[in-house]
Formats: sequence, structure tokens, C-alpha cells
Amino acid sequence: MTNSSPPAKKEKDHANPLGAITTFLLPALLIYAAFTALPVLRTFYNSTHLIVPNRPAEWVGFTHYVELWTDRIFWKAVWNTLTWAAVAPILEVTIAILLALCLYAKVPFSRVLRVAWFTPVLMSYVVVGILWMWIYNYEWGALNTMLRGLGLESWAQPWLGHPDTALASLIAVTTWMWTGFNMVVILAAMSSLPSEVLEAAELDNCGWFSKLWFVILPLIRPTLLNLIVLSFIGKMKVFDLVWVTTQGNPLWATETVSTYVYKRAFQWSTFDLGYPSTIAVVWFFIVLSGVLGLTFLFRQKDKLEY
Amino acid sequence: MSAASQSPRISASGLRMAALLLFIVIYTAYSAGPFVWVASMSLRTTTEIAANPYALPWPWHFDKFASAWLDSNYDTYFFNSVSIVLSAVALLTIIGGMAAHCFARYRFRFKGVVYFLIFSTIIFPPQVTVIGLFQIMVDYGLYNSRIGLVLVYVSIQLPVTIYILEAFFARIPKDLFEAARIDGYSEWAIFWKISLPVALPAISTTVILNTILLWNEFLYAVVLITEDDKRTLPLGVLRFLGDQLEDVGMIATGLMIAIVPVVLIYVFFSERLIQGMTAGAVK
Repeated sequence: MTNSSPPAKKEKDHANPLGAITTFLLPALLIYAAFTALPVLRTFYNSTHLIVPNRPAEWVGFTHYVELWTDRIFWKAVWNTLTWAAVAPILEVTIAILLALCLYAKVPFSRVLRVAWFTPVLMSYVVVGILWMWIYNYEWGALNTMLRGLGLESWAQPWLGHPDTALASLIAVTTWMWTGFNMVVILAAMSSLPSEVLEAAELDNCGWFSKLWFVILPLIRPTLLNLIVLSFIGKMKVFDLVWVTTQGNPLWATETVSTYVYKRAFQWSTFDLGYPSTIAVVWFFIVLSGVLGLTFLFRQKDKLEY
Repeated sequence: MSAASQSPRISASGLRMAALLLFIVIYTAYSAGPFVWVASMSLRTTTEIAANPYALPWPWHFDKFASAWLDSNYDTYFFNSVSIVLSAVALLTIIGGMAAHCFARYRFRFKGVVYFLIFSTIIFPPQVTVIGLFQIMVDYGLYNSRIGLVLVYVSIQLPVTIYILEAFFARIPKDLFEAARIDGYSEWAIFWKISLPVALPAISTTVILNTILLWNEFLYAVVLITEDDKRTLPLGVLRFLGDQLEDVGMIATGLMIAIVPVVLIYVFFSERLIQGMTAGAVK
């Protein structure tokens, strides 16, 4: 970065690459415009129209939005999804910290354990969904078989078939899938900590818990917050797992916003794409404010602490 | 230190060790148990499973894989998935690489805006694109088309691909490009002969990441594909479930056919894969 040469060079740099910039960026921009931007705009447009096949779209103003306000299934779906998005990140990150500590402390068979814990995240939700439907099966599922084996016969139940347990059972599945992923990220963050800090804590005769709580966790805080936000976003999108296992049943107990949009758009014979688009738009703003809120919250806290 | 003061400490740490081991054993059973179970069922017949769902597979019915493959259109689904995923990943690598190279190397007006537009889509809930996308694909004549699905897959993985590659391209020393320019390389040659080869590690990371994520993709496939001969593997597995409702043994075999390729990729490329999946998460 010398100060003598830049002016002349910069001019040249600017003159030449404009063509190159366009060439390099154009394919990506075209794909983005055609398959991301346009569909989003179309969905926004839909939300104020009645879109019925073989008829021109009919402007209905904010009728859909008003209808949505009193749509009890929608609010149930919002509640379920928010519950999922609030509970799952905490479970995943907490368990992942414990697992990462185990590997960090170099327990035997670390490599094998890492593979075993990480693998679930690589599976397709279709495979995972079918597998867990079997595990939760009332008669021969692994969970009930285990409970009966432990003499807890009365605890055995159709886990996905009962409104009180269905959502929690599905949350256990996403936790099963994503904890290992969080663990790997946390382990990477722990491994990159400067060893002097940990040695200093060692010298101060810190117990392992205070070492974790006062030294390690504050240092990997940015990573943890990031993982929480990522997990939150992921759970706000959840569709595949519900669709494969319960399709929102029983009694809307596992209905998420994604599955409800899909049902209204492509399954129920209402033949209107306008209303589901309205749900999508409203949901878009809820997710956006959720992400912004979390980011703001975490920033705020950081400021207070330092 | 006397023996008396040491023994309680040992037992306390022994207790802690036991608790730790118990936690590890329970979590590992929770994490790996389902795979062991489905793998063992995939080698057993439904009659055997009905008699005892948890017995070890013996004899091994490997022929079930052949019949799942041949009798249930699995070969078609598998071929569809392979061709769609490979085409999408190839396009992603080139298009994403070009855009990342552009972001990393040039300054231009509205760069910040373009960057923001592309990356803001990462937090978009897919519902907000999927309905509009369905209509647009019908308009374009790309509904129920494998090419259409490829293009959609390129669009959904583009932001992450650019993000990973851009971070890597930005670290390539500027001198390398200067030297190439002095040697008379064109802008395109610089990208093709310098950026791409130097960034090979990052590229392989995105290739593996995109392969796995698209291999498992379900929502866009289920909305955009309804014809049986165009279904991808996840849709095929679900259809298989519908057809064979009571035939648990056969479905387990079908699941294994979907699981094995992913596990193989993981076995051979675990470090790259983990890098790709965690790229966005480590700050």
C-alpha cells in the first residue's frame, strides 16, 4: 500500500474491469433475480389478491390480512413454531457445550464419538422422519420398548399421536439432529482458545466449573450467540420433518407456519394462492423482527458487559 | 499430601468420571442407536422384524437391496437425484465462484447493496419464495422439469457458496494478480487460471456442502415436481413409504439406500464437510 503509485493505477483498474465485473456478476444476478427476487415480489403481490386458477388475479386489498388476524390455526402454528424456535436452540447449545467439553478433555475414542454425534445432521429429514416415527411407534417403537423394559409401562404412549407430547417429541428429533453440529462448532472455538488463559486459570486453582463458567464460556460467547441465532432461523423454517411425520396432527399440535402455508397453497382445495401468500408475508416479518431482535439483544448485552 | 486427604478427592473425581461416562454412553446411544437399528432392520424381512424388532440380523438378506432397487423405481429416483444435484453443484461452483471472485477483487458502485441483497436471503423463510416460485415456474414452463429444479437449487445455495468462496478469495495475495496482469493475463484468465486453482480447498468445501444439502432437499422438490419419473430420492423414499405402509423391513432397506451415499461422502471427506457446514457459524 504505497502512496506514490495508486492514482494512475486506480484509474486503469476502474476503466478496464467494468466489463469484467459485469461478466462475473451477471449469471449470479440473473439467477437471483429470476428465482429469488421475483418469486418474493410475486408472493408480496399475491398477498393482496385473490389468485384462482384460470382467472385473472383479483385485487382484494387487505382482506386476507384481516382474515389472518382471526385465523386460529395460523396463531396456533405461530405459537408452535415459536416454541420450537425458543426451546430447540437452548437444548442444542447446552448439550453441545457438555459434549464439546467431553471431547475437549480428550476422553477415549474421541474420533469415533465425534462421528457418531455429528452424523445425524447429514441425513435427509425424510429419512429422519420415518426413522423416528418408528422409534415413537406405540406398539413396537424403541422408546416404548425401552420404557416397558424399565418397568415404566404406564409412561408408554403414542408419542406423536397425543397432542400433549407430539410437539415435544418432534423437538427431541431436531435436537438429535443438530446437537452434534453445534458440538463440532463449539469444539473448534474451544480448541482455538489461547492456552495461556487456561493455564492461568489452572494456576489460580480454579475448579473445573468456574473455569468453564468464568473463562471458557465468556471467551467463546460470540460463537455461542451465533449458533443460537442460526438454530433459531432454522427452526422458524421447519417443514420437512413435520410433513413426513405428523403433517401438523394431532389437533394442530405440531402445525408449523411452513406446513400451514403448504397446506393452504397446495393441499386444501381452496384454489387460492393469495391467502397462503399473506401468511408467508406476515411470517417473513415475524422472522425478520425475531432475528433483528436477537441480534440487538445480544449486542446490547455485550455493551453492558464491557 | 497425606493419603487421608487424597482419598476423598479421588472418589469425588471418580464419581465425576462415572457421571461423565454415563452421559457419554447415553448420548451416544441416543445419537447412533437409530442408525444401528435401521441398518439391522434393512437386512431383515418384515416377518422377522414382526417377531422381534430388536434381534440381530441373521441371516443377512442382502437381496432386499436388489428388490428395493428394482421393484420400486429407486433406480429412477437415484439417477434423478444424482443428475440434478451434480448439475446444480457444477453450476453453483462456476457461477458462485465468478461472483465471489468479483466481490473479492473489484471495487464498484452498489457493491454493498448487491452484497446485502444476496445475503439477506439467508434469513428468508422459504415460504416467502415458494408460492411465487411455483407460479413463476409454471409461467416459465419449468414446472415438473428437472432443469427447473436445478436452477432453483442453484438459487437457494448461491448465497452460502459465494460467502464461503469470497472469504477465501479475499485472502489470496494481491501481488499474485498483479503479477498475472503484468504477464498479460486477461481478467477471465486470472479468474480461471489463478483464483480457481488457488482456491481449490474452499471450492471442494462448497462442492461437498452443496452436494449433501441438495441431496437431502425436500420442500422445493415436493412443490415443483409431481411426476413420478422426475422425483428425486427424498420424494421417492416418501412415496415408497406410502406404497409399502406395513412392510417395515422393505422401507428400512429403502432408507439405507438413501443413507449410504451420504455416509460414504462423510467418511471420505469429513474434514471438508465439517468445514463447509461450520463456515457460517464460527466468528
